[in-house]
Order: sequence, then structure tokens, then C-alpha cells
Amino acid sequence: MLGKISTQIIIYAIVCLALLIVPVFLDDAFLLNKFSRYLVFAILAISLSLSWGYAGILNLGQAATFGIGSYCMAMGLKLRTIPVHTGSDGLPDFMVWNNVTELPFVWQPFHSMTFSLLAGIFLPAIFAGFLGWFMFGGRITGVYAAIITLAAMVVLNLLIIDQQAYTGGFNGITDLAQFDIAGITFDAYSASTYYLVAICLAATLFAALAITRSKTGLILQAIRDQEDRVRFFGYDVARYKTFVFMVSAAIAGLAGMLYTVVMEFASPTFLSVPLSLSVVIWVAVGGRQSLLGAVLGALLVTGVQGTLSESEAFLDTWTLIMGGLFVVIVLVMPKGLAGASEMLATRFFAKEASSRSITSQQEIKASLERAS
Amino acid sequence: MDLIVSQLLTGLSISSILMLVALGLAIIYGVTGVINLAHGEFVMLGAYCAWLLQTQLGLGLIVSLIPIFIILCLFGWIIEAVVIRHLYDRPLDTILATWGIGVMAQQVVRLLAGGELRYVEMPVSLSSSVNILGATESAYRLFVLFIALGLFVATWYIYRKTTFGLKLRAITQNRAIASSFGVNSSRVYRMTFAYGAGVAGLAGALVSPLKSVSPEMGTTYVVDAFMVVVLGGVQSLFGTMASSAILGELSGLLAFFSNDTVAKAVVLIAIVILIRFRPQGLFVARMRS
Repeated sequence: MLGKISTQIIIYAIVCLALLIVPVFLDDAFLLNKFSRYLVFAILAISLSLSWGYAGILNLGQAATFGIGSYCMAMGLKLRTIPVHTGSDGLPDFMVWNNVTELPFVWQPFHSMTFSLLAGIFLPAIFAGFLGWFMFGGRITGVYAAIITLAAMVVLNLLIIDQQAYTGGFNGITDLAQFDIAGITFDAYSASTYYLVAICLAATLFAALAITRSKTGLILQAIRDQEDRVRFFGYDVARYKTFVFMVSAAIAGLAGMLYTVVMEFASPTFLSVPLSLSVVIWVAVGGRQSLLGAVLGALLVTGVQGTLSESEAFLDTWTLIMGGLFVVIVLVMPKGLAGASEMLATRFFAKEASSRSITSQQEIKASLERAS
Repeated sequence: MDLIVSQLLTGLSISSILMLVALGLAIIYGVTGVINLAHGEFVMLGAYCAWLLQTQLGLGLIVSLIPIFIILCLFGWIIEAVVIRHLYDRPLDTILATWGIGVMAQQVVRLLAGGELRYVEMPVSLSSSVNILGATESAYRLFVLFIALGLFVATWYIYRKTTFGLKLRAITQNRAIASSFGVNSSRVYRMTFAYGAGVAGLAGALVSPLKSVSPEMGTTYVVDAFMVVVLGGVQSLFGTMASSAILGELSGLLAFFSNDTVAKAVVLIAIVILIRFRPQGLFVARMRS
């Protein structure tokens, strides 16, 4: 058991290191920006893998919490820009266009960057906490939970688009200042931003791994497999599910904040149905029950998507190819690439493993004989 | 008075479209348990078929309804045979696979027909408006309402009064036992899926003169249709009709007092709260368990 744990940690660490040293070999601002974007999606995939793969909650509205994080960051950064088009009291330009004369009170605290950063993590968690309390308290599971999360996200999306004067509506929040903290400025097209995202990814990956390896993580997996049985043992299932839902949302919020730093804007498309479903796709492709699988799934799918959509030959057909590949993966690899590679590995080592199990059986027999 | 009537009619018009789209989804979901995220794309394909038949062959909309139904039935039949039949014991995975199918359908249409908006002409005989109790309503919207009701009655008849419907209900109650009594369940599932797809195609064709036709049009419908099905209660056809009536009238009313966006948001919140307290839906089909 101990051997297995350390192999897993070593593999995770190797992948993280590999991602961290990319800028050493890569000196292309455009590519660095693109790769940072993929890494942000990987963080988002971890967040869904935690709630879907480990606790069995298929969240079709994962982009909602991602979007909240993204908007928090954007609001903080927007207030740090010097308005180009209009000049009074640092009022964001789109508010002036919408005849807002005074900064709304919701925006006031975002003058503080610390508040913006905390809000980007905690607001999504609070949102998820409320939704989780509402759903899981009523023992809503499976398809119904998926539909509620989807509907909640659509409502949020509609409201953001509707409240144009306060949120920028369809256009989102654009023309942002560069994120800087402790004297480092994170230019979206530089290695510094890449490192920021990669370090956040590594930290998130290991934090999530720690949760899945803890007792709470074990209980969550038990809930996923046999919810009623766990309830009969006296565990408060709703509380565990709400907890993992909140952690997942906080991670998604972090990803959202980083996305704003990388993309230099926030948009209602960040909390839309297509993005939400894309996250599900990445995690399903990588393997929902493996955190690393989710990361690699996100990197693989977004990477292939990016490459195909930019290449001349596949400009028009890449979505078609992606859709087809996805259907095939769902059909033949229900546990995603991680599950498939695990199966291959066990088949490869099957001989060794079976011989080992024989010896252990013999050992058990021997010890039983000794005992009697 | 005429304001109230016209409000009611607006609501009914929204309801009839909702029901057209949700009916196919409800049949498929209720019988096979497949959560068909590609349903919106079936609707979209129906609309494109209408456009194609009109612009290429000069067929009027009403005449082309039957070929559209058949084309979409065939399409559903193929999708079921190639993908869906492998997924009946993995209901959540059907969400993923059908979404992939939907993406492919969208892109194929974009490649073949172009991404720009298309318009389907209303049948000339129905382009006038009708006066009802002082309120005017377009004849075409009334036509859609009647077709929706007709389709509902037809579906109900198949479900309740035919041998096929009997087999279908037997499978819904217990697939294993129905099979052991000699019901060919995989064939019934396939026909159900095909019929659901055909109805979705009809919905798309009927909607096409009212809204612009684009490859993305399905996405908006599928979320709404899901809400209708869940609200109405899975496996209850009357629930589907009643909940589309409620949602349609509610959206019409709320849109009158505020705007479309707020109306939609409020309706969605209402549905979320309802699912929370009545996950089985408003109308439960009586079943032996």
C-alpha cells in the first residue's frame, strides 16, 4: 500500500515538474499564453474530477463558479485601470456608457486586491455551499442534481447579461489592468504568468490528492458507490457532499481568476453551457476517477482542439473530429484514458500479479494452519 | 379583456412550441432513460430539412412535414443503432455521448449549409391573423398549437391503445420480465428513439418560420425542454403537456411584467425549487413498483 502511494505521488510530482520547466525551453509569448490557458483548464478539470469522480456529483454548471471567480478578478483589475474613454472618479467605462454615475456598492470592496482575491475563492464556495445545502439536504442526486446545477448556471448567466450597467452585459469586463502582487507584474504573455498558473495547478493537484486520500475522501468515494449504506452507518451524507461541492467550487473559482489574468477580460461565455459541458468532456476523456487523468484530459483535449482549429486542413472539421472522438471514448473507455491505461498496465503485469496472489493465498493457508 | 386574451394566447403559443420540443424528449427519456442532449440538434435538423425542401424542391412547409418526420425517424434509428444501444445501463454517460453527437450534427450542418441564419417562409394560407374575442393572433401560431395537440393525442393513443404501447409500458415497468415474456425490448427501444427524433424534427420544422434557423438554435431549446420534462414528471405524458402549459403561460406573463430575461430566470428558479421538493415532478404516472 505504502509503495503504491509513493509511486502515485512520484508520478504526480514528475508531471508537475514537467509542466513547470516548459518556459525554460519555450520562449514564445503567444505559445506561453496559450499553454497558460490550457493549464487553467486543467485546474478547472481537477475541480470537477473531485466532485464528479470522487463524490459522484455530476455538476453540469461547473462553469458558474469558474465565472464567478473570473468576474471577481476582473472587477478588482478593472478598478485599477485608468479609464481611457471617460475620466470621472475611476468609474469603469461601460458604466459611464450605461449612464451609471456612481460606483455601485457591490463594486466598492473590489478596490482592495486582497478582497478581490479572497472573493474569487470564497464567493464561488458560498454559492456552491448554498446550492449544495439546498440540493443534498433534499437528497437530490443523479440527473436531478445535474439539471439543478445546469439551471442555476443559466440563471446566473442570464442575470449577468441582463444587468449590463453593473456587469458589462454581453461584452463582459474588458480593458483590465495587469495583475501584480508583491512587486511582480503578471503580463499575460510572459513566463511569469505561466509560472503562476503552473504553481497554482501543482498546489491544487496535491491539495486535491490529499483530500481524496484523507478519511473524508474515502467516505466521499463510499457515498459515490453506495450512498444509502454510508447513511445507514450514521454519516451525514449531505454534509460531506456539500463540503466537496464547496471545495470544488473554490478550486473552480481559483481557475476563473487565473483565466481572467491570462485572457485579460471576463465574459458571460465563461459561465455558459458550452464551457460547462467542455469541462465534463475533459474529465471524461482523461478519466473521471483520477485527478491526474483529469489534468491530462484537459491538456490533451484543449491542446488538440487548439492545434486542429488553427491548422489549415482541419479548420472546418475539428469540432466534428472532437465530437466523434468523444463519442468513441465514451463508448469504449468508460473510465477515460486513465482507466484504459490502468487496465493495460494490469494486463501487462497480470502474470506477475497472479503469481503473487497465489503466494499470498499459500501464505494465508499456512498461517491458518499455524493458528489452528 | 382583449389584453387578457392576447396574453393567454401568447402564453399558449410559447406553450405549444415548448410541448412540441419536449414531447420527443419526454418519450425518449421516459421509456429508455436516455438523457438526450442531442435533442436540440434533432430539432435543428428538422428546421434545416424544412429550409432545404423549401429552397431546393419548392415544397411548402405543410407538405414537407411528413418527409421531415420520416427523415428524422431514420436519423434517430441510426443513432440508436450505432451509439445509444450500448449505453442503456449507463444513463449518465448518455448525457456525454449524445452531447458529442449534437456537436457533430451542428458542425456537419455548418459545413453543408453554412453558418449564416436561414429563413423558412410561412405557408401563404396561414400568414393571415385571426380575431379571437377581440384579440388578434397569427393563424400560423394557432396551426402550431393544433398540430402540437394533435401530436400529443397521437402519442397518447400509441402509448395507451396499441399493442406497441402495451409492450412499451411493460418494458418501462420491468425490462427483464417483459423480455422474458417475449417482448423484443431492443426493437421497442429503437422504435421509441426513432419516433422521439421524428417528433423533434417536426418541432423544428414548425418552429422554423417563427425563428431564424441556425446551427446553434438547438441549444436553447434543449435546456427548456429538459425543464418541462423534469417538471412534468418523467413517464407522464399529461405531465409534459401540463408543465409546458404552465411554463409557457408563466413565461408569457412574467415577460409582460418585466422582460424576457428576467422571466426566464424566474421560471428557472421556480423549477429548481420545485425539483428540490418534488423530484418526481408535478404529475406522477401511476405505476406498480
